[in-house]
Parts: sequence; structure tokens; C-alpha cells
Amino acid sequence: MALADPSLPIAVIQTAQAVTVLVAAPGVGGVIARVEARLQGRRGPRVLQPYYDLAKLFAKESLAPRHASWVFLVAPLAALTCYLTVPLLIPVLTTFPLPLGYMGDILGGGFILSLAGFSVAVAAAESGGPYAQLGSSRAKTFSAITEPVVLFVVLVVAVVTTTDLPYAMAATLRSSVTQIVRPAHLLAAAALFLVILAETSRIPVETHTGTNEFGMIDEARGFEHSGPHFAALRWGSAMKQLILYTLLINVFLAPWGLAQQATLGSVALAIVALLTKACLVGVGVTLIDNSFAKLRLFKITEFVAAAFVLAVLAVLTLYLGGG
Amino acid sequence: MGPAPAPGLFAGVANVIAVVVLLIEFGMLRTALLRDQLRLYAAQSFVVSALAAVVAATHALPELYALAGLSFVLKVVIVPWVVVRLMRGTSEDIAGSSTLGVASAALVSIAVAGFGFLAVGALHLPSDVLPTTALSIAVAVVLVSFVLMVVRRDVVSQAIGFFSLENGVSLASLVVAASLPLIFEVAFLFDLLIAVVVFGVLMRVHHRRSESLSTNALTRLRG
Amino acid sequence: MPVGSGDQSSTLLIAVLLVPLVATLVSLVAPGVGRFFTVLSGVACFASTVVLVPAASAAGGVSVGFLRVDALSGVFLLATGFLYAATATYAVGYLRGEHSTVSMRRFYVGMNIFAWSMLCAPAMNGLALLWIAIEVTTVVSALLVAIENTDGAVEASWKYVLIASAGLGIALLATVFLYYAGSRVLGPSYDLAFVPLLKAGAALPETPVRLAFVLAVLGFGTKVGLFPVHTWLPDAHSEAPTPISALLSGALLATSFYAVLRFYQIAVATLGPRFPQTVLMVFGIASLALAALYLLDQRDLKRMLAYSSVEHMGILAIAVSFGAPLALFGALLHVLAHAAAKGNAFYGAGVLVRKYLTKDLHRIRGATGVLPVTAPLFLLAVLALSAMPPFGLFRSEFAIVAGGLQSSRNTVAVVLVALVTLAFLGLATATTRLVYTPDPRPDGDGAVAITRGEVSAWMVAPMVAGLLALLLLGLYLPADLTTLLTRAAALLGGTP
Repeated sequence: MALADPSLPIAVIQTAQAVTVLVAAPGVGGVIARVEARLQGRRGPRVLQPYYDLAKLFAKESLAPRHASWVFLVAPLAALTCYLTVPLLIPVLTTFPLPLGYMGDILGGGFILSLAGFSVAVAAAESGGPYAQLGSSRAKTFSAITEPVVLFVVLVVAVVTTTDLPYAMAATLRSSVTQIVRPAHLLAAAALFLVILAETSRIPVETHTGTNEFGMIDEARGFEHSGPHFAALRWGSAMKQLILYTLLINVFLAPWGLAQQATLGSVALAIVALLTKACLVGVGVTLIDNSFAKLRLFKITEFVAAAFVLAVLAVLTLYLGGG
Repeated sequence: MGPAPAPGLFAGVANVIAVVVLLIEFGMLRTALLRDQLRLYAAQSFVVSALAAVVAATHALPELYALAGLSFVLKVVIVPWVVVRLMRGTSEDIAGSSTLGVASAALVSIAVAGFGFLAVGALHLPSDVLPTTALSIAVAVVLVSFVLMVVRRDVVSQAIGFFSLENGVSLASLVVAASLPLIFEVAFLFDLLIAVVVFGVLMRVHHRRSESLSTNALTRLRG
Repeated sequence: MPVGSGDQSSTLLIAVLLVPLVATLVSLVAPGVGRFFTVLSGVACFASTVVLVPAASAAGGVSVGFLRVDALSGVFLLATGFLYAATATYAVGYLRGEHSTVSMRRFYVGMNIFAWSMLCAPAMNGLALLWIAIEVTTVVSALLVAIENTDGAVEASWKYVLIASAGLGIALLATVFLYYAGSRVLGPSYDLAFVPLLKAGAALPETPVRLAFVLAVLGFGTKVGLFPVHTWLPDAHSEAPTPISALLSGALLATSFYAVLRFYQIAVATLGPRFPQTVLMVFGIASLALAALYLLDQRDLKRMLAYSSVEHMGILAIAVSFGAPLALFGALLHVLAHAAAKGNAFYGAGVLVRKYLTKDLHRIRGATGVLPVTAPLFLLAVLALSAMPPFGLFRSEFAIVAGGLQSSRNTVAVVLVALVTLAFLGLATATTRLVYTPDPRPDGDGAVAITRGEVSAWMVAPMVAGLLALLLLGLYLPADLTTLLTRAAALLGGTP
């Protein structure tokens, strides 16, 4: 190699994982919003608009409803912390597991994500605002069904790799094309994709840009927040989206382009690759957003039931040996 | 501890195709529009025919090409066409509400399909042509089509449930009896065609009598 | 009659399957002539099946191309042939007069094809062809059930075609699995003919055969009317035009049972008798019990007879599950006797319904006064169905129970007798009331004035023939027939 590729300390890469997600998340959201606007024939906001929004919000003061307790103000920060922790556990940039990756398995990651969702929901309940409470109770209702789906997906990973590490799943996928075409993998990936659609408040579950409070689920939860706390909440959602995309991409869909050595060049390349892939997934989601109508609230159970069917079938085919 | 062995490229693809057949069956449980249901049936038949063609190509069974072609013509083109013709003039597009909600029906179907999976999986029937998983999936398709016939309350959905049952059986026969003499396969398909016509005639008669496609009126005979 | 030469029997067999088709054509072109031609065709078919008996009992039977008739098929051909002839005669009277709204052409075309498909099924050499023939019987008979175009008929027909087709889907799955089992021995591509399959029987892999047998009992059992897949049966039998009910009950159920028997033969060859017999026993007892209970409290005349069919199919299944040659002999005799008795019962019921314009058992009273010939004949038919001596069913059920005791299935034999007695109670109470209780309505009062006298000689003649057949089967079995039944029982018992 002509170019010198300086090696990086593991700790730096470890930090880079969290920082990449933290910094890039609003940007990815911006790209998606832009593409979406273009698809709808609008010019759309700047790609960097989410950063400006956050900056503006940080400059404002935070208000809390009169009867809300300290939980209301802590919750957005707690959620943000959770979202910062998860990237340490999953393969964001490297093919090889990083030391903190052993801190928690894929299930642990899932729990931390749920914890984030829970704290936001608690804050919404704390606020006393009707729409916020509506949104959080709806979100919890549907996640009661999406979470078993995630568990089944985790189970598939566990059976396929005989470990509970997302790194191992990605490595297995890279090992042979036969691992990609097996139904268990495809079904689990599809189930996870549907869950991600639901969790990132996309059509057919929710119109994420909508202003109709009655149809809102996730969007309604932050209604009572303001200022830096609201910024933290918004930032958290953007990170959640990127984390879920990363999980889908680097564990199920396309675990290629990750850094294989702890060197500056390959890590930098991995960051670029990750963001490109995330944007591509985002574009795919946008396409779905534009091709389908939002489901009625009561029909959403059908949607999550579909995800459930996929996940269960994945496990079943797997147990029959050879799925 | 290495990763679990995957079934191989061909087996994997074949299994995925079989799974798609099953997923379409689940899709039929959900669709409320009769035309959509018919489209799903056509898609399902297409997937089964495609699998027959794949098997023909990979296992040097030229007869299966004929079967694939025939089943394509019959089940993807003719049967849906006939049913659409028969539905014309009934001015009903929406399936009768089913006895179960979609989510519950899906759960019941999962349970039933799971039973089929495990029951057939436990039998260990090795096949030379397709992986055994495909057989389990075929049985699951048959069982879910029963659920479809039971929970739906209109004649078109029930008939389509039966047609898709036949798709499940076709899938099973691809796995365990791929080299069944062509003449029988043709006769089976021909039988299906007759059945479709008879179903169609009865649908028409029913519609003429009760002015609807719902089976809610069919409760006179008991005991 | 000397045993016909191979050529002659083959010609006869082909004739049996061609004549109904000719009758179909004639009915299509000229329905007026068609009905008499159908009678001729029925009688010719029955005569041919009778003549075929010795050839069928010979080792190897008769085979032409993909047709093959051995002793077992011979029994079922006889039953169907007899009912075809009798029903064709009966239908002439049934369709006469202003009551009938049925298109003569459709009816006769349908009936001839129906009879043809039922004659084809036992004559087919191979499980795949057998399945196809039975599927044809389903679709044709479904249209026939709906032919009167009443609400009830359409409902019954829809239930029938849906449930039976689904059942046959399962039966097809069974066929496919059996094909799979066979392909392990006979090579990847073969035609499912009986003889090679039976020869290979012991070498077939057990699991798929087991699976195939259970699926076949469930699948074909749907058409046989075994519990719990019998649900279409009472509806279809009660709503169909009476001649069709008679064919459904006497011939179609038996033909479907024939398919189960073919699977049974192969299953016994592979698995030994224990497993297949247990399966049949469970289904048989369940069906018999259900039918006996439903017979106790039945308001509808034709439904009552339909449940009696379920009862008799249960008896058949139990008889086969006994496995003793005597029981198998009884079972096959039962097929013949049941065809004659159930035919008669439905013919009688048809006349009663025509006369009283109702199927309600509580509203048909004093039949002896109104129908001097039919009423006693109907009563006799029901007594025959309840296995009273001196009719054929007494002999067959006696043989079955004796066979059961012989193979020391004492409990099952006792249960069988108890349930049959229960069924007898229901049948006999309803029928004697209907025949002997005087009609409470004074003559000429109200809307319905019932005139004394038979409806048509055409409807009485087949009942007399049926009665004679029942007496013949009960009192004096012709030697050729005994040979046929013994040989068929031996085939079922596992002798090659």
C-alpha cells in the first residue's frame, strides 16, 4: 500500500461509533426529508435543516407543565443517553467486535432502546397533556406487539449464529451466499424492517409529517416539551432512526463495507459507507411512504400482525432444520 | 461454536419461494377486496408454477416444464379470468366480514401453520428434489387455506380458499412427487378447472337467489 | 354361465363404461327419449356387472389398459350398477307430472354422467385415476344436488362442493404421499397401479404410508360421511332430488369407501393390520355413535335416512377394522345390501314427500291408507336398514359382529350392537308412526286433500326389485356372488 494508513486505538473507534451516530443522525434525517420532498415535487428543506432546528431549540428556554415532576425534564436526557449507549453494542463501523460490544448482547441493546421509549412515554404521561398521553399510550400499545417480533428476530439471530452477538450474525452473513438466501434470514430481515417502519413512525403506521393530532402516535409524545429538552427529544428520535437503520443494514441487509482493521482509512471509509447505506434505506422507506396510504389506527394491529407472522415463520423454518 | 449450517443455495432459494407461497396465503386472510384476493391467488399460482420451472431446470425433469407452463396458463390466466367473468354483474367487491378479526385470524393461522410445520417436520421425509422444509410449508399452506375457508363468510373467498388449497397440494407434490407422470398432473389440473366451473356456477346461482355473495343466508339446514 | 373368456369380459367392462356415455349423449339431444334410454342403459350396465362377476372373482380379475376390475371392485360395480338401473326407472316416475320444476335434459345428462363416474371409480387401475374419478363424482353430483334450485338445495350444494372438494384436496395430498412412498421402491416415475404397489407393500417406507392412510381416511372419509367430516351429508341428501339422494347414499358413499379400502390394502401390506384398523375403528365408532344419536330425534324424513347412511358407513368402517375374513365378507355384503335397502328407503320417501308435500316426519301420517303399496315397502326398507331378518343387512351385520367376536374385539362388537339398536329405535319409531298412526286431518279438510293411490308405477317397480334383491341377499346368496365376496374379502385381508 502506497498510502500510509495509521492505526487507531480501539478506544477511539469505540467512541467514533457513538459520535458518528450522534452527529450524523440529524443529517440522515435531513437527507431523507429532502428526498421525500423531491419525490412529492417540492424543493424541500436544506439537508442541514435539522441541525439548524436543533440549534434554535437549544437557544430557547425550557418550560415544564405546572404539575410535572423532575421526571419530565430528565426523561429526554435519559432517552438521549440510552441512544448513545446502544451504538457501543452493535456493529456500527467494524466487522470485529469492540471491547464494549460485550457489555450487552442484542437483547441488551433492545432493552436499552425500550428504556428510552419508556422514559419518553413516562414524561408524556407526566405532562398531563391529552395528546401527549394519547400518543404515548398508543405507542406503548403497539410496541407490546412489536417487541415480541423483535424477540423472535433476536431468536433467529441466536439460532443461526449460536451466539447472541449481532457481530456474529453479520459475520455469518458475510461468510456465504447460502446464509443470505435462507428463508429464516430473509423473513427476519423483513420482520425487522416492518418493525422499523412502525418504530420510526412511518407510513403505513403514522404520517410523520402530519399535523393531525388524532392520527399521531410518536409525534404526539413531545407536545409538551420545549427548548433544549425538546431538542434532546428530537435528536433522540433521529438517533433512534439511525440506530435502527444501522441494525438492519449491518446485521441483516448489507454487512459489507465495514472496517476490518483498526486503521484510520478503513474506519473513515466505514463511516461513509454506513451513512450512504442508511440514506439508501431512508430513500427506500420514503418510497414506501409515498406509495401507500396510512392505515386507520385500528388496522395497525394488522400491520404489526404481519410483522409477527414473518418473525414466527422465520423461527419455524429455522427449527425445521435448513430454513 | 460456528454458525448453523445453511441449507445450500438451491435449497435456500426453493425454501424462500415456498415461504412466499405461504405468505401470499396469509395475505389472502387480510385482503378485503375480492379482486385483490383473486390477484393474490394468481400471484400464488404464478410462484408455484415458477417453482416447478426451477425444479425442471435444476433436476433435468423436462416434463415439469410442461406442467409449469400448463399450470401457469390454467391457474394464473384462465381460473382468475373465469372467476372475474362470473363475478361481473354481481356488483360486489368487498368480501363478507370474516368471523374473526384479521389479527386473530393471523394468530390462529400461525398456530395452525406451526402445527403443520412441526408435525411434518417430525416425520423426516427426505426428498430428492426439494428440501423437506418446503414440504412443511406446503402443508402449512393447506392448513391456512382451511382457516381461510372457515373464517370467511362469502362464497368467492371460500372458493378461492379451496383453489389455494390446491396450490398447497401442488407445492407438496413438487416436493415429494416431482416425477409423477405428467398425464396425472394434467388430469389433476383439468379436474381443478371443472371444479372452478362448478364453483362458479353455484356462485352465480347463489347470487341470483340471495342477491349477495355472503354465506350468512346459508344457515337454514341444521341438525 | 361359463366364465367368460378374457376378451369377452374386457369388452363387457368397456361397454359398462361406454353405455352411460351414450345415454348422456342421447339425453342431451333428445331428453324425451333419453329417459327411457337411461333406463335401458342402467339395466344394461347392471346386467353387465352381473355377468362380470365370475371374471372379476378369478385371480387377477379383468384388466384392459388402465381399467382393472378385481373382486373388490366387482362388489362396488354391482352396487352402483343396481342403483343406476333402479334409479333410472324411478326417475321416470319422479320427473313426471307438474310437481317437477327440473329441466329434464339437465337432470338426465347429469345423472348419466354421475352414474358413469361412479362406475369408473372402481374400474380404475391406480390411485391417481381413482382420485380423479371421485373428484368427477363430486362436481357432477354437486350440480345435481342444486338442480331443483330451491334455497335449501343451493345451500346444501354449496356446502357439499366446498367441504367435499376440500376433503378431496386432502385425499390428493394422501395420494401424493403414497406416490412418494412408492417412489422409494418402484423408482421415481410410475403410475400408482394397485398390483405393483401392493407387491412392493412390505418394502415401502412406513412413515409416509402411515401419513397417507390417515389423510386418505380423512379426505375420502369426507365423501364417505365419516364423523367429523360428515357435515355436508345430511344437507345434500335431504335437499337433492330423491333419485339423486338414492344414488348419493347407496352408491356414492360406497364408492368413496372403496377408495379408502384401496388405501387400507396398501397400508396393511406396509404397516400390518394394527394401525389401519385402529384408525378405521375410531372413525367408525364416532360416526356410528353420532348417527345413532341424531336418528333418535329427527324431524326430517330425508335427513333421517341420511343419518342412517352415516350410521351404515360407520358400520362398514368398524367391520373392516375387525379384519377377520368373516367380518370383511360381511362388510362387502353390507355394501350391496345397503345399496338396495337405502335405495328403497329413499324411493319410498320420495313417494311420501310427493304425496304429502312435506319432509316433516310429524306431518306425514297414516301412510298405509294413502299409499297401499309404497307404505309397506317403505316400512320393509326401513326394517331392512335396521338389519331385521330375513333381509340382506341382517346377514351382513350378523357376519360382521361374528367376525368381530372371532377376532376377539368383543368390546367393539358390543358397542356396535348397542349403537345399531339405538339407531333402530330412532328409525323404527319414526317410521311406524308415519305408516300406522292415522292421519288426524279429516279428508277433504284444509288446503291439502290427499288422495289415495300410488303416484306412478315407475316409482314402485324399482322398490319391488330392491326388495327382491334384499331377500335374495338375505336368504339365498348365489354361488357366484359368494365366490366374489369371499375373494374380495381375501383381497382386503391381504391375500395377493
